[in-house]
Amino acid sequence: MTGLVILLSLPLIGALFAICFPRDQVASVAPIMTLLQVGSAGMMIWRFKTTDGLQFFVDEVWIGDLGIHFALGVDGLSIFMIALTVLTWTVATIAASLRPVENPRLFYFMLALAEVGTLGAFMAQDLILFILFFDLLLIPFYFLIGIWGQGDRRAATTKFMIYTMAGSLLMFAAAIAFAAISAQQNESTFSFLFIDLIANPVGASTQKWVFAGFALALLVKMPLPPLHGWMPDTYRAAPLAVLIPLSAVVAKLGAYGFLRIVLPLMPEAVSAFDDVMLVLALIAIVYGSLMAFTQDEARLVVGYSSIAQIGFVALGIFALDAKGAEGAILQMLNHGIVVVGLFLVIGYLADRAGSERLSQMGGIARNAPVFAALFLIVSLATLAMPGSANFVGELYILFGAFDGSFAYGAVATVGVVLAAVYMIRFFQRTMHGPGGSAESRELDGAELGLLLPAVLITLALAVYPQFVVTRIAPAADAALQTIELPGAETVTEEKTESPAGVPRAGQGRSKPEEPVQ
Amino acid sequence: MTDLLSAVPGALAPLLAHAAHFAEGTRPGGDALWGWVLLLTPLAGSLVIALGSVPGKGAISERAAGWIGTVAIFLGFGAALACLVQLQGLGAESRHITDGYKYAQALGVDFRVDIFLDPLSVFMALVVTGVSALIHLYSVAYMKSDQGYRRFFAYLNFFVFSMLLLVLAGNMALLVVGWAFVGAASYLLISFWYRRETATAAGIKAFVMNVIGDVGIVIAAFLLWSELKTLSIPQLLATAEDPFSVAPSTTFTVAALMLLVGAFAKSAQVPLHTWLPDAMEGPTPVSALIHAATMVTAGVYLIARFFPFFELSETAALTAATLGAVTMIVAATTALVQTDLKRIIAYSTMSQIGYMVVAVSAAAYSAGMFHLMTHAFFKALLFMSAGSVIAAMGGIQDVRKMGGFKKAMPFTYVAFVVGSLALAGFPLLSGFFSKDEIISFTLNRGGAYAYIAGALLVGAVLTAFYSMRAVFLVFHGDTCEPARELEGGQLHHGDHVNPATGEHEDTEVGFPGADHHIAEREPEMKIAMGVLALLSIVAGALQVPGVMHSIEHFLAPTFEASRYLEVEPTHGEEYTGLGIGALIALAGIALAWWLYIPRRGVTARLAERLPLAHAWLANAWYFDKLYDAAIVRPVAALGRFCDRIVERFVAGGVIDGFVGLARGGNGFVRALQSGLTRAYAALVIFGATAVALYFYVVAR
Repeated sequence: MTGLVILLSLPLIGALFAICFPRDQVASVAPIMTLLQVGSAGMMIWRFKTTDGLQFFVDEVWIGDLGIHFALGVDGLSIFMIALTVLTWTVATIAASLRPVENPRLFYFMLALAEVGTLGAFMAQDLILFILFFDLLLIPFYFLIGIWGQGDRRAATTKFMIYTMAGSLLMFAAAIAFAAISAQQNESTFSFLFIDLIANPVGASTQKWVFAGFALALLVKMPLPPLHGWMPDTYRAAPLAVLIPLSAVVAKLGAYGFLRIVLPLMPEAVSAFDDVMLVLALIAIVYGSLMAFTQDEARLVVGYSSIAQIGFVALGIFALDAKGAEGAILQMLNHGIVVVGLFLVIGYLADRAGSERLSQMGGIARNAPVFAALFLIVSLATLAMPGSANFVGELYILFGAFDGSFAYGAVATVGVVLAAVYMIRFFQRTMHGPGGSAESRELDGAELGLLLPAVLITLALAVYPQFVVTRIAPAADAALQTIELPGAETVTEEKTESPAGVPRAGQGRSKPEEPVQ
Repeated sequence: MTDLLSAVPGALAPLLAHAAHFAEGTRPGGDALWGWVLLLTPLAGSLVIALGSVPGKGAISERAAGWIGTVAIFLGFGAALACLVQLQGLGAESRHITDGYKYAQALGVDFRVDIFLDPLSVFMALVVTGVSALIHLYSVAYMKSDQGYRRFFAYLNFFVFSMLLLVLAGNMALLVVGWAFVGAASYLLISFWYRRETATAAGIKAFVMNVIGDVGIVIAAFLLWSELKTLSIPQLLATAEDPFSVAPSTTFTVAALMLLVGAFAKSAQVPLHTWLPDAMEGPTPVSALIHAATMVTAGVYLIARFFPFFELSETAALTAATLGAVTMIVAATTALVQTDLKRIIAYSTMSQIGYMVVAVSAAAYSAGMFHLMTHAFFKALLFMSAGSVIAAMGGIQDVRKMGGFKKAMPFTYVAFVVGSLALAGFPLLSGFFSKDEIISFTLNRGGAYAYIAGALLVGAVLTAFYSMRAVFLVFHGDTCEPARELEGGQLHHGDHVNPATGEHEDTEVGFPGADHHIAEREPEMKIAMGVLALLSIVAGALQVPGVMHSIEHFLAPTFEASRYLEVEPTHGEEYTGLGIGALIALAGIALAWWLYIPRRGVTARLAERLPLAHAWLANAWYFDKLYDAAIVRPVAALGRFCDRIVERFVAGGVIDGFVGLARGGNGFVRALQSGLTRAYAALVIFGATAVALYFYVVAR
């Protein structure tokens, strides 16, 4: 068995190990076990070779008659998502362990199960395996929010389940149909392996309705308006330790699905629905930003800002340009990291103000300079301040979008400005001002220890994004392989002369205006 | 003490990436070594102060923080001099150095950390570090009693680093980084007294306006990249300078206009200027450094840096010149009636930058850069003197409450007068030569530029008038109470109030310090102001028509490809210009004297008789009100509309309907609440189908 299988099973092994301890010690053991995963994920990044494409490949026939394989692998698209998953769950587990929870054994087990689902989805190289993991992670989240949540958690979990299950069921049906039609149309063997499905494309009309099924499931997960209805209630109800992975990683799974499955498998449908998706992305950017600066609940400020940010990711993906995809992948990672920081900060703020409402906060910076500084760094990174890796991601996304259609890119820049408005507002309302009833208290050791790694990673990515950029580039290219016109020049990594905006097959979008020479 | 580490965001990047550069085994810093030292010394200063002010064993004292910050900038100035010497050692054709490493380079986007040393960037670096060093020195004394002393120096050093990053950037994307860092530093320093709500509001306004500018440059970067396939500034310039490789095109025009968006947002030019007067909420040394001498001139630098593109696009150049002239008039007329001492100088800054923008747009590059330099000297001096007066007033900034400080503050008086006369263009002072050179060159371009030159002449009268008005109001006339106390040796400490709102404040963290410091009693302030006063008097000698052309010669290698190199006024024309300029300055000064000394009170009656005109100017041509009504309120209203109406309808919509339905049926609710039951499965499938139908409609 290779490293990937070990990494995939480590969360469960850790949780089962922790469960063996007495009830009051589970919370101390579980975080330690997550550190093992950090080591394992670090090894994976260390051994990853930039130029090799799919690596650490595992392929076992699982249900042979149905063509289902237990196939795992890692490439530039998934490697940092896997690392982000491990990091996020580690932080979440430690954050959870700082407060007593009821029934800790079940809690940590569920948390670990959710991680396995997420890791599996990022590793899966088989369509059915992907969907299994994708659905598996919902169940623990349902319980985590339903049992340990707050407020009107029943209604929230119901809504969450209905939205996500609806999408998943459609995706499941579409996947089976897709494989069947693929095998039938190409007279090939029945297989759900991505490589087989890419090699045996289906007709354009099939692609279109399969696309609808997948898009629905993935858009709900991201979520893009108007399919975000579950988000506010779920965010309000979820415990912070559960919200961190849900927002930082699970939301990215939707975008990941588009890059991993939808773009390579349904190129013609993607070209056909491209404009619809771009408009949805722009709506997400503007609508999310507008909502983010009207909210009073800190979580929803972050929640809606995430909608705006994931809108940028969607814009990058559907720019159908390697630069856009590069930016989208990078931004999934960057945003995941800042969201971890932001939710930690919200927890700290709530401890000091006794409420998560911005109107109850203010002046917290006074005796908490280190807290203010770290929060400011996270805020600036979130608004994609140039000099942060988030800016690099946004720059690539905008370049990709401009290359496709200047107008779409121009609308997106409104989101760049609005991001500055809502993030600085969030920072100022909480930290600055004359101060109200909120207590101004510096971070204690545990709080600092949790937040500092997220900030340091943000800074490290800001310092040397090239490390990530180089590793992502081949995957960004690969995600668009099937979409490019046959014979069109493909853009390879480090190639400096060639414009990436090569024409795509069968789409109605115009090229950027040619200058009048 | 306070949120010190805020100075760190992303600032570590170049430092550590430079280490990565060595690790990559590529050519190390080599001949650009002094450039890197220049760039990184202020950053190092900022980091040392920031980390050193975390409470604990390693904490550094407040005094040490101030001096570390000051010394770091003086070292930076030394490194800039070294760069200058190094450049002068190279042949005129190859007088530039580029050095750097990969930062985020892939898929044809060459995003690199490159520094670009050439006469123009080194000239800017010298002005920036030189003036910054003096302002740091001044701040050592001026900010002494502020609780945020260390935080102040950490921010200030971070600002200088950001400004140098902007100036030295050899890559469009890195330029955006410097551009945004400068905006962030400005934000931090405007909101420095963060418990003042007026200060935080001013901070967010400046930040957002600056982000609009950043976006402009990002778009420009894309357009240039899409045309010329590189983000490298030296390569872009080299291509654009070659008349055989590029032709004027719409893309270049749009790119140049987008650069202008960035330039105007940073340089507070109409229509992106409204943040600058509010930025006076920051401590006065900040106003001197960032909002007068250095940051706000970045737009001028940007236009000069990308001059080949503005020469390629007549439209963009003329747009810039026109808006520069409009800003000059708007700001100069507004300055006539302002009552807040710092706002008078702020509007004056806007107006003077208007001159520089006109100059660099009219291809009078060395004239523009010359005025940029002299303005940095006398405007920093004016703000420092104003700071001294405000300190003597106990924090009050209203000129109507001031008067008669001449005897109480002789040093400050002389410094303020020197600064004002240099600003007014008094013969033989620095501003006299630099301003008149701009007017002569602009007039010489002819066509539409002749009208602009006419506006510049009108502006010169206004400038002379409003600058002397401040002198007479503050230092002459009836002696105010604080001045009288000061003559008796007693420094006035009134109530601590917010000068903008009159609210009372305590002097703990996040508000201005308890004590006040004036130049007469602080040697550090005296030295800084003395040096700048001297420079304000003599710097004009660097560039005298027919006698000295040091700046023009020094910058020549940068602008040698200019299409307008030979288009310049004759010495005779320039001397005539100087003569007219002298007359205009003296007329403005005399008018101010006449209205504020022998005929004091006339202006007040005039304001009463013309209430509309007075209100128009006092409200700075109502730009703030217009933006509030046309942009801020509608966007906020749209946000509320989304929150209250759209969200409930769209997001709630379908699913809330089902949940509500489910709640209606009592038995169903129990099934629902008992967990995952068959009822759930039914609901899920029902919901899935409904949402699928919905998406199907959307997708079609």
